[in-house]
Amino acid sequence: MSEPIKARNLSAQLHYRAAGNPPTTLASSAISNCFPGLEFDLRNLWRRLFQGILLHEADNLVVAAEDPGFRKLVGHRLIFVEECPMFIELRGPTKPGGADVLLTGSGNGVAALEWSNAMASVLERFKGTKDKVRCRFTKNPAWNPIGPMESSSAQLMTVRMHLNNLFYTGPDGEQAVINDTVVLPGELTQSLCSPWQNDYRECACYYWAASRPDFVNVEQTGPGKGTGNNWLAKDVEHKEYVVDSAVNQSKLWTYDELFRDWQRRLSFIVGGRDAEE
Amino acid sequence: MTIRGIRILPPLAIGRLGAAATPMDNYEVVKDQRKPLGYRHLRPAETFDVDISSGRILSTFTPSWVQFKDGPKVRPIAPFLEVWAVVSRDRMEPLTLDVLERSGLTPADLRWRVHVANHKVFRRTGDWHDKVEAFAPEPEPDLRLEVLRGKPKSIPRNKGSDPTFPTFSDHKVHQLLGRSPNFWAGRSIRLGSVQYIDPTKEFPQIRLRFTPAGGYVYGSSWEKPPPGRPDDPNLHEIVYRGRRGGWLGYTEPSSVEGVAKLTAPSTIYAGESIDGNATSKGYLDDECDGIVYAVLNSPSGPFPPAYARIGAGPPAYAPDSFPVRTVADELEQALLGTSVGIDQVSAESAEEIIRRAFETIRLMNTELMNGNPAVGGLAANNMVVQDNRDTGRASEPIMDPSLVNNSSLAHLHEAILASLLSGTAPWFTGVLRRYDQIGDLSDRGRRKMPAFMRGADGRYMTLTRRQIDLIEKVASRNLNGS
Repeated sequence: MSEPIKARNLSAQLHYRAAGNPPTTLASSAISNCFPGLEFDLRNLWRRLFQGILLHEADNLVVAAEDPGFRKLVGHRLIFVEECPMFIELRGPTKPGGADVLLTGSGNGVAALEWSNAMASVLERFKGTKDKVRCRFTKNPAWNPIGPMESSSAQLMTVRMHLNNLFYTGPDGEQAVINDTVVLPGELTQSLCSPWQNDYRECACYYWAASRPDFVNVEQTGPGKGTGNNWLAKDVEHKEYVVDSAVNQSKLWTYDELFRDWQRRLSFIVGGRDAEE
Repeated sequence: MTIRGIRILPPLAIGRLGAAATPMDNYEVVKDQRKPLGYRHLRPAETFDVDISSGRILSTFTPSWVQFKDGPKVRPIAPFLEVWAVVSRDRMEPLTLDVLERSGLTPADLRWRVHVANHKVFRRTGDWHDKVEAFAPEPEPDLRLEVLRGKPKSIPRNKGSDPTFPTFSDHKVHQLLGRSPNFWAGRSIRLGSVQYIDPTKEFPQIRLRFTPAGGYVYGSSWEKPPPGRPDDPNLHEIVYRGRRGGWLGYTEPSSVEGVAKLTAPSTIYAGESIDGNATSKGYLDDECDGIVYAVLNSPSGPFPPAYARIGAGPPAYAPDSFPVRTVADELEQALLGTSVGIDQVSAESAEEIIRRAFETIRLMNTELMNGNPAVGGLAANNMVVQDNRDTGRASEPIMDPSLVNNSSLAHLHEAILASLLSGTAPWFTGVLRRYDQIGDLSDRGRRKMPAFMRGADGRYMTLTRRQIDLIEKVASRNLNGS
């Protein structure tokens, strides 16, 4: 039988592993660099942070007003929350060795910051209070991302808004479970690939190699040199990494093969190698 | 001992898809004490033998080895959710037969309801008729419709005990059949099942098990599908009525407003190129996420309801490795803030982050991800190409190509770990990328850590601010000799 847990120890509750549960049932086994994610797209946690509006999960755009009083904000962009900017300028060289300049290849030289880190200090400061948060939106609708020049004070309007509780808050205080009024069933997975197998070929999922391996069965061939297999390679007898390129498609499991037979085709990797299954 | 309330633990439980009849056994992941960054070992652990027909745990056993597949089928990860009793202002204990009995209650006084959904199609089309929802037990049709329509004021979402939603306290398997207004009549997607485990003298704890679905792909058709397996070998069943909804043949919108609302990344569905547009084949899957509610009745009325989140995702294919930044890290930061209390700072916690970073790097072709031209890195799906495509940044390797093979990076991480733990790495926090440095695509900016990976904002990944704070505190504590 499990030992007692302090009701206020939310971290212990979050990490609690119920009897009989393998480690991969825990939140600590799920990736959170969600672009879009594997188990969840946790960016959806933040869409209803502000009462009355619905934000895009990955952009500083108001996509809907759940309170009709905020309809005027739909299509506007949230630029600052208190003193925190919700976007960042992109700077770097356009030629190897060149000077760092504003990179406007995507349009306006800015990128929206992920909600999780950008909102963290706002959440710390205002959580559990009745205080309104000072939000500055674009004065005009801005369906396209706006650049640094357009985010000057003269182009913004201030709206003070209440925060929703991201976590359920009961009679004894905040708990470690995501509030059911802030994220509805289906919303934590809604922006993932459909079907999920598509992601294993479509996206640059190598960023999640601890969950969806990339380079496996690696053998050292010399000092600082090694070779191994692409996890999706059909032939793993030869130690050769097959690059996912147009000419190599026949050497990798295809979309269709994954849709119909992913369980047979994909190997579990233990110790960096195909596991005994 | 008086029950003051109940909670469900864990508050977020992940199921993992698989079509094998027997769920995955339990196991432990154990660090190799001899090698600082060696592979973790998988060790079989005590597993419940659940009799599905009675809902009882018959016995426990420890398997002889950790087996992920049963023949050609993957064993699903089917988590248990435990009910805990809050027995004093700051103490929780597992809810058991004994605890119930002392309060004059029985297991039948604990009632459940479960609501899971798959909104992937709805997220694209924006049509609420495309929501796939499953309930246990099934509510009245009017209430189901109200949930689908998402009328916030009329849905008692925060009231698990709301009498309009039916509950169950039996120990049968309750199938979670995902239905949608745009499905063919009688067709559904099985999103898994739940079972209230019947507590016994030997296994007296109150728990529910969620078993996820098989990981099948479902399809759409223009005409009513005949009985039997579909012609398309990719499909388990055809469920979606192509002429009623917009998913079969769907293409992403091209209007300014439509483009702004797209998923990020966009066009991540099974499709084929027709006239240059990624056109949906109408495929759906059986992933889901949702909520398990528990209500405990008492003679003086029900306690406030408790709930927990569940989800069904793909298997973790490298189960001895863990991601560098996890859902738990996100939730901890949102719950507890960006600063780690000094009493929670431990070298072991910082070591775990470095270990997880290396576990990701180790399974990644780092030469390709660095953009090494010799291996085709300037034309691969990596951050080098994303930088160039998204921003116009010069296309060139991130680091010196000679420094990024896996064995070199293993040595680097071992050195970082050793110096961090020995107090000689105050410099290390300076090379960690901060969340507000993701726009720094200078040579130096791109070389910060974590390297090569994409974050939730589409640019280079950063740790959570709380993770960085932890590492800083470990490094400075060592620096101070404390």
